[in-house]
Amino acid sequence: MGLALAPVAGVIRLVLRRVAAAAVLFLIVLTLTFAAVAGAPGDPLSPNDPRIPTEHAERLRALYGLDQPLPAQYLRWLGAVLLSWDWGQSYQTGRPVSDLLFESLPPTLLLAGGALFTQYLLGIGLGLIAARRPNSWLDLGVRAASLLVYALPTFWVGLMAVLIVGVGLGLAPIGGMTSAAAYELGPLAALLDVLAHLWLPALVLGLCMAGDIARYTRSSLIEFQTTDAGRAAKARGLPWTRIVFVHGLAHAAPRLLQMAAVSAPLLLSGAIVAEAVFVWPGLGSTTLQAIQAGDVPVVLAATAYGAALVIAASLAADLLLVRLDPRLQAE
Amino acid sequence: MRRLAVAGLTAVVGWGCGSDAPRDTTRLTVGLRFDYPTPNELIGPPTLAYAAINDQMFPSLMEEQGDFREGPPVWAPGLAEGWEFSEDRLQLTVRLRSDASWSDGEPVTAEDVRFTWLAQTDTEVAWSSSYVHEATVDVEVLDPHTVRFHFDAALPTALADVSTGAILPRHAWEARPFAEWRGDPDWFFDALVTSGPFRLVSRTPGSELVLGRNPDHFETDLPRLERVILRNTPDSTALTNRLLAGELDVATGIGATDASRIDGQPGLHLIAYSNRQFTFVVWNTTRPWFADAATRRALALAIDRQAIVDTIWHGYARVGRSPVISGVWAHDPDLEPWPHDPEAARTTLRDAGWIDVDGDGIIERGGRPFRFELATNTGAVARWDAMQMIQADLRTVGIDAQPRRVEPNALNQRLPEQDFDAAAVAIAIDTNLDFRPLFHSEEVGGYNFAAYANPEADRLIESFATRTDPLGGREDLHRLQRILRDDQPMLVLWEPVSLAAFNDDLESVAPNAVSPLANLKEWAWR
Repeated sequence: MGLALAPVAGVIRLVLRRVAAAAVLFLIVLTLTFAAVAGAPGDPLSPNDPRIPTEHAERLRALYGLDQPLPAQYLRWLGAVLLSWDWGQSYQTGRPVSDLLFESLPPTLLLAGGALFTQYLLGIGLGLIAARRPNSWLDLGVRAASLLVYALPTFWVGLMAVLIVGVGLGLAPIGGMTSAAAYELGPLAALLDVLAHLWLPALVLGLCMAGDIARYTRSSLIEFQTTDAGRAAKARGLPWTRIVFVHGLAHAAPRLLQMAAVSAPLLLSGAIVAEAVFVWPGLGSTTLQAIQAGDVPVVLAATAYGAALVIAASLAADLLLVRLDPRLQAE
Repeated sequence: MRRLAVAGLTAVVGWGCGSDAPRDTTRLTVGLRFDYPTPNELIGPPTLAYAAINDQMFPSLMEEQGDFREGPPVWAPGLAEGWEFSEDRLQLTVRLRSDASWSDGEPVTAEDVRFTWLAQTDTEVAWSSSYVHEATVDVEVLDPHTVRFHFDAALPTALADVSTGAILPRHAWEARPFAEWRGDPDWFFDALVTSGPFRLVSRTPGSELVLGRNPDHFETDLPRLERVILRNTPDSTALTNRLLAGELDVATGIGATDASRIDGQPGLHLIAYSNRQFTFVVWNTTRPWFADAATRRALALAIDRQAIVDTIWHGYARVGRSPVISGVWAHDPDLEPWPHDPEAARTTLRDAGWIDVDGDGIIERGGRPFRFELATNTGAVARWDAMQMIQADLRTVGIDAQPRRVEPNALNQRLPEQDFDAAAVAIAIDTNLDFRPLFHSEEVGGYNFAAYANPEADRLIESFATRTDPLGGREDLHRLQRILRDDQPMLVLWEPVSLAAFNDDLESVAPNAVSPLANLKEWAWR
């Protein structure tokens, strides 16, 4: 009984260790972000009109806690965040930052999810095509194409997609997540409307990141065919499609999952760019506008949200890896 | 199921197929670079785009008309149907329309006007334009539709001052103490009642605002549109793309670089309209390089402003001549701008004692090389581009200007403290043409970034600011412009125009310097 529980206890210990490390990392990110923003030049609440009475500026400073010494500001901010998830009020709009981010996080997750789906669909598909006949013209073409899309900046690909697919051909809407007055649509029509707005930015973002997946899938599948398992499958007379789809992809899966976690920061930064090009009302657009407006509480919270997403993705990938690879459980 | 799949595919792939459908003339889609976080103007962002939207739901007492070419601002009735000053101009009695009502049916009353003044001047509310009421000592309710403003000074700006800011609904908003207004801007959506030609129908934060026709508006035949959908598009290029793709009927805030993409497009036309802005380089006269007017004049001669305007603005700006911009009645049309004349600049600099003694290509005076930092704020793309051209122009006369981008808040702090050498900035002038903040010697530490001081300029500014007949002060302002031209505390680079694009089938559109949506209530589809 005790022996049977040992691996479970080990996994729990591993999970707790990873979660604790993630929490410490998150705290460090919060602190560094606060320090960086606090150390930036300029007073975000200094009135840009000298006619504004000084007592009004002082009132705003008191409202946002900027009349306190910096350590007190930090402790108050950190306490509010950790105890009640209160990120303060936006300097620009006066609205609670939590509300702003609560509104902009789902669109970003939707876009990132769509992009991730596209990235893996295209990447694995192209990897399979390339691995079918290594060093053929098709293989060379796929490898060259994957290098090309990897090298192209997301904003450029996005702009070209907007100009050609949206403005030129009229095949996709190019702004926002919904059509005008979409609240008038029924549930199904509203869903289709969102999908119609999603496919192009998700394709652009996914395409720009599919190269890595394609190259890894290709090399992994080719390598699998040289392993004992691959040779045994071939010797049993299994068709190539079964070998690669069932056994080859299972062989590549742990690393592919790890790549998903590694690409989470890239996906988020790419989403910021894609959101700007496609006027997607997500975390990236909110962050960009906050940076331009010097809206410190929003910048702080958006950075922390971004960090939290990356840390969470990383943690999830680690745990999945443990789940998929029994050797790690033993370790 | 198959039908559903086909419908989905059509929606996803065949997006452009809808463009041949007949136009829905009940609604208009407008692209704005806006954010609309609250209907309470006193705690909202102090931006033109925000005001343009808020004005559609909350009228002010009087409405400023957008043409300043012929004379000082003209005020048309808004919620006020009439007004009159006392003989000493220390009292202004305003009669409200008796047919104006809030969207919940309550009448707009004099109590609302007094409540608005109390809120506007409350330090807890901290309204960014509260200074307009510096001379207002009381707002007295005479009867439900008559209110009297009491001033402690007879200012020519009284009508502008009492009309700055919308009238707020006392019965709906007084339940919330002023001290709590800034803490919860969303509350005003819950307690929203409006009195303008449009009402709020729907809001998707950060994305969209839908306004609907107010059927009870006191101008019974207005507005002519049933629904106006305002779509947030912060980036100018994205705004243009959406317009060209047919997602928008109107786009305001178009950038000059995008204008050529719209100009000549079938079904669209571009309107360039004046605004009240100008961009200038301010020379800090407390720095040794800019202490004498002769040197500052030489800088004006050395910089090719026409080339800057042609290169950066593609024809959508004009070279500035004066801080009293050319679209304003008091602009001196006979004022000759400094020509681009590098040779004359070199001569003037030599006469002012600037000579390249050590042969390094940079002129010096008293052993100090003419090398200074030329700052502007980050995000000001046109100014940054202009600064590269200014740097090149000045280099030809032996001056080393070093462009530098500064974070906007940091620059805002440094300018009034004279913690800069020279800076390229932009400003929108008040239509009351009070130039005290910009050039009066007592305003150093405020907008007088140059620390400029000229007793004659001070006298002319004071003389004009206290006139109750601004038109009679035209000669004072012409004289002031000539002094500023000679003293050159700032070099006016350009006056931009604002750009908006409209669908050809829209009629009665007339954006102006007050607002791109100035007469939105009169717009209609043909």
